[in-house]
Amino acid sequence: MSAHAVALDQPGRRVVLTGNEAAARGAIEAGVSFAACYPGSPTSEVLPTLARLGARFNIYTEYSTNEKVAMEAATAASYAGLRSLTICKADGFNVALDFAAAVCLQGINAGMVIMVGDDPGSHSSVREEDSRLLARTANFPVLEPSTVQEAKDIVKAAFDLSEDLRQPVVVRCTTRICHASGDVTLGDIPMVKKEATFTRSQRFVSSVKFAPGMRDKIKRAAALAGDSPFNYYTGPENAQRLVIASGPSYTYSLEALAMLGLEDTAGVLKISTTWPLPEELIIKYLIPAREVVFAEEVDSFLEDGVMVLAAKNMDRIGQTKFYGKNSGHVAGPGGPFVGELDPDIVAGCLGKVFNTPYHPPAIPNAGEARDIIEHSLPGRELALCAGCPHRASFWAIKTAVELDGREAIVLGDIGCYTLGLYRTGYNLLQTVLCMGSGVGLACGLAKLDRFNFRQPVISVVGDSTFFHAAPQALMNARYNQADILCVILDNETTAMTGHQPHPGRGVSASGEAVGRVEIESLLGGMGIPVTVHDPYDIEGSIEVICSLLRQKGPRALVLRRSCALVAVKGKKKNRVYVDQDRCIGDSCGCARFCSGVFACPANIWDSERGRARIDEAVCNGCGVCATLCPGKAIVVERTV
Amino acid sequence: MAGQEQLKSCVIDKNLCSGCGMCVGLCPYIKTFRDRVKVIHPCGQKDGTCYSTCPKTFWDIDGMDDFVFQGPRSDQALGVYKGIFFSRAAGEKAGGAQYGGTATSLMAFALDSGMVEGAVLAGGSALDPRPVYAGTALEVMAGAGSKYTAVPTLAAFNQAVGINGGRLGLVGRPCQVEAVRKMQQGCHSEAHGNRERAVGLTIGLFCFWSLTPEFYDFLAEKTKGEVITRVDIPVEGLTVTTPAGANTWPVDQIRKYIKDSCSACIDCTSEWADISVGSTESDPQYNTLVVRTVAGQRLVERAAEKGVIEIKPYPEERLPILRKAALNKKMRVIQGEGGKMPGYLKLSDQYRAEIIRQWEVLQK
Ligand SMILES: Cc1cc2nc3c(=O)[nH]c(=O)nc-3n(C[C@H](O)[C@H](O)[C@H](O)COP(=O)(O)OP(=O)(O)OC[C@H]3O[C@@H](n4cnc5c(N)ncnc54)[C@H](O)[C@@H]3O)c2cc1C
Ligand code: SF4
Repeated sequence: MSAHAVALDQPGRRVVLTGNEAAARGAIEAGVSFAACYPGSPTSEVLPTLARLGARFNIYTEYSTNEKVAMEAATAASYAGLRSLTICKADGFNVALDFAAAVCLQGINAGMVIMVGDDPGSHSSVREEDSRLLARTANFPVLEPSTVQEAKDIVKAAFDLSEDLRQPVVVRCTTRICHASGDVTLGDIPMVKKEATFTRSQRFVSSVKFAPGMRDKIKRAAALAGDSPFNYYTGPENAQRLVIASGPSYTYSLEALAMLGLEDTAGVLKISTTWPLPEELIIKYLIPAREVVFAEEVDSFLEDGVMVLAAKNMDRIGQTKFYGKNSGHVAGPGGPFVGELDPDIVAGCLGKVFNTPYHPPAIPNAGEARDIIEHSLPGRELALCAGCPHRASFWAIKTAVELDGREAIVLGDIGCYTLGLYRTGYNLLQTVLCMGSGVGLACGLAKLDRFNFRQPVISVVGDSTFFHAAPQALMNARYNQADILCVILDNETTAMTGHQPHPGRGVSASGEAVGRVEIESLLGGMGIPVTVHDPYDIEGSIEVICSLLRQKGPRALVLRRSCALVAVKGKKKNRVYVDQDRCIGDSCGCARFCSGVFACPANIWDSERGRARIDEAVCNGCGVCATLCPGKAIVVERTV
Repeated sequence: MAGQEQLKSCVIDKNLCSGCGMCVGLCPYIKTFRDRVKVIHPCGQKDGTCYSTCPKTFWDIDGMDDFVFQGPRSDQALGVYKGIFFSRAAGEKAGGAQYGGTATSLMAFALDSGMVEGAVLAGGSALDPRPVYAGTALEVMAGAGSKYTAVPTLAAFNQAVGINGGRLGLVGRPCQVEAVRKMQQGCHSEAHGNRERAVGLTIGLFCFWSLTPEFYDFLAEKTKGEVITRVDIPVEGLTVTTPAGANTWPVDQIRKYIKDSCSACIDCTSEWADISVGSTESDPQYNTLVVRTVAGQRLVERAAEKGVIEIKPYPEERLPILRKAALNKKMRVIQGEGGKMPGYLKLSDQYRAEIIRQWEVLQK
């Protein structure tokens, strides 16, 4: 709900928090001193919550340039004896993996927690990924909360576990937990004076000689998992039908069994310590079970772990049948390894396995509702916001590519401008993979001239993604003389994850003014020529891009304009309207350019009058459409 | 009926576009950079002014003579004209004028005397030419000098009509004069305003071909970034002047940059202009001046009277040389090299036979 509720020093009080706020509270209750992250949905609200309370609880917070740097910084704090937290999304964990795989060998000092947001259903990610697999690769124990309350309690417990093992611990939270709001009972906030110490005699190195010790830690983690209060069983004694669940799938499973009327015959074993597993606890429930179903999201991680365990203990558990993603029994509409679960999906799966067909409750007027949805509601595509400078940039790039006429390839990246894949960005982007990858791909394509590939190559990258991952690729472009044009769409913020600042913004996570890292100087230092232009000046941008396309070597163009949502915050917007006497509607021949092609959501069609119109509630007053209207029918009344 | 799709498939994709600029700026979907004219997005409209106004979609040559001169021509080489002279600027001559500065002086005079309210021409720098709207004689002067790529000047015309409305003058290549004459016959939708009446004067250049913008890359490479003060293509070859002096390269080195559309063009003296201006091929201080229409004649007479230009007779012995050059170009298109006449050209059998006859006479 608010930083206020997160900060309440009233143990036992029940408040409503989101999963992300609960996690932040858990860290505060654990006495965290240092938190670093690169923002990524679904976990992007954890750090700002801590940042707001940083002064009060003496917590240092930072937005780091990427997840690897964040993890390194957090590790340093742990080395110096301070509890530290780093937060990322699954994709970000990949970025940090190189460091993670190194730090695990010797381990750490004070408790260190890595909160990773997995996004089943990829609500705000380019793909689904199961970070538990990577956590195991890095030999970090994994804990998974099933409720908002647990998001707090498990984060707190993870610090203790980490400190006990001297090993970072991963808390894997899915979108449904991060973004849900729930009832949370608050715990104590420790008020200890914290001092950082790092002596000349301390050493932390990545060496194979620490491997046996690391294995021992994992063994100890497995033993501790056996006593974890976050693993428990709900259901009849000696159940022959068993569901083993983790994360929110635990509550889905309870609900599903209730809906099927099977709560008296089947039980649910909730596992929060998904790696390493509490082996004896699981075997205890496998022994009476004859049919076992796994409910978890993204990969068959728990399932595979339990199957290996079952194979090793076949003599003890006897004849048991297993159903899960691998057998195809646990699957949503997209298939076993795709999409989120929910109580209905789980009930459908359990119903099939347990021979109790599931009939979803009849929804009153379902047919009528479906009819309205399918036939009467207009379809809504993904769209850039009204006035978004990216739209102007995309129109300019598209135009320049067509004018250039050499079939330039346009590679994309991760950010709001990923929407350049779709109609709102004129279907311009041809690749979108991971942070900064467009620039690296461009380097490769640009070196294929000896194989007769001579099309110009453009990579489009946002400002935050630029700082996160582009400089290495651009240095490569400069070093290997790749003929690429890197267009940096600089809207001066990390817009997609909620307008977090970045090194180019001149403000820190806690709101302090800091020196800006200038993209121009950075690239200048690399020897890459940079042009800066305002994307709202579309004609000028087209010209600049056309000229840059004809040049050789690596080049960069910064199209700089504040995110439309930031630009208008707290300000009076320009008034933009269509002079309906000048707009001649369909006799213009422009094919409804403003509303149909340029397609800013504020440009709409007044079908009654057969003229274009501006939706003034949506319009952010940029006036770009006025510069493009062939009839000069759009008027901008400037407020400044 | 046809629109943007056909313009793209029949003209632009076939390299018949001469970069006149007439279709640019009528809609948001046809754009230009340097000499390139491209469709950047399909508008989906079945019919379009872009197609109907383009001089390369269909063009009735007999009809054009009737429209501009109210009757057929007798000279197939140079078209209809009232007089041919040598001329040059007599008063103020534009600094960058190509030869005698006649084109610039006449257009500047037309502006000063109120014959037109503005002019569109090819301005910009030697390496970066662009369509320009000139509202004053000074701005006309600034546009002097030949740029050898196909500057789409008429894009500035479309823009100026939308904004200024008044009567405009054009200095342009033959294809641009043709585009204007075709437009004046009313081949556009009402949405595009009263364009027919918007042109008050056409000064056409002599032009045997223009070059693709790769020519500028060639120039930049040869001059190694030096400022280019003048480009000319006399018989000796491509001559480029920089502060360091003049350099000449054989014309064969730039032939590869000749636009395909120019090889399909039959008009090298702007036969439908009010006035045509070219080189003399002998004296770089003078121009060849062809006066064609009544309006053109009036302007030239007044300009001479006021001492804006100076005129002398065209040397009798040079006429056959000029006529031969013009007819050779026509013959190449209607039956020569490659053998195929572009589909958009409509000329009667009689008209074609007359070209061939006059050409044969000259061969003797
Ligand atoms: C591409 C091209 C090819 C030519 N080929 C020949 C030829 O083969 N034989 C011949 O006798 N003459 C040719 N000319 C004409 C010649 O170069 C002079 O433009 C003409 O003689 C007028 O001279 P001036 O001294 O009056 O020019 P100026 O007073 O300098 O005026 C020249 C005018 O032409 C305009 N202009 C310049 N470049 C272009 C362009 N690319 N497109 C449209 N308008 C332009 C300028 O804006 C200016 O208004 C050609 C011109 C061009 C542009
Ligand atoms: S010739 Fe002129 S009108 Fe035709 S496509 Fe080219 S620029 Fe447009």
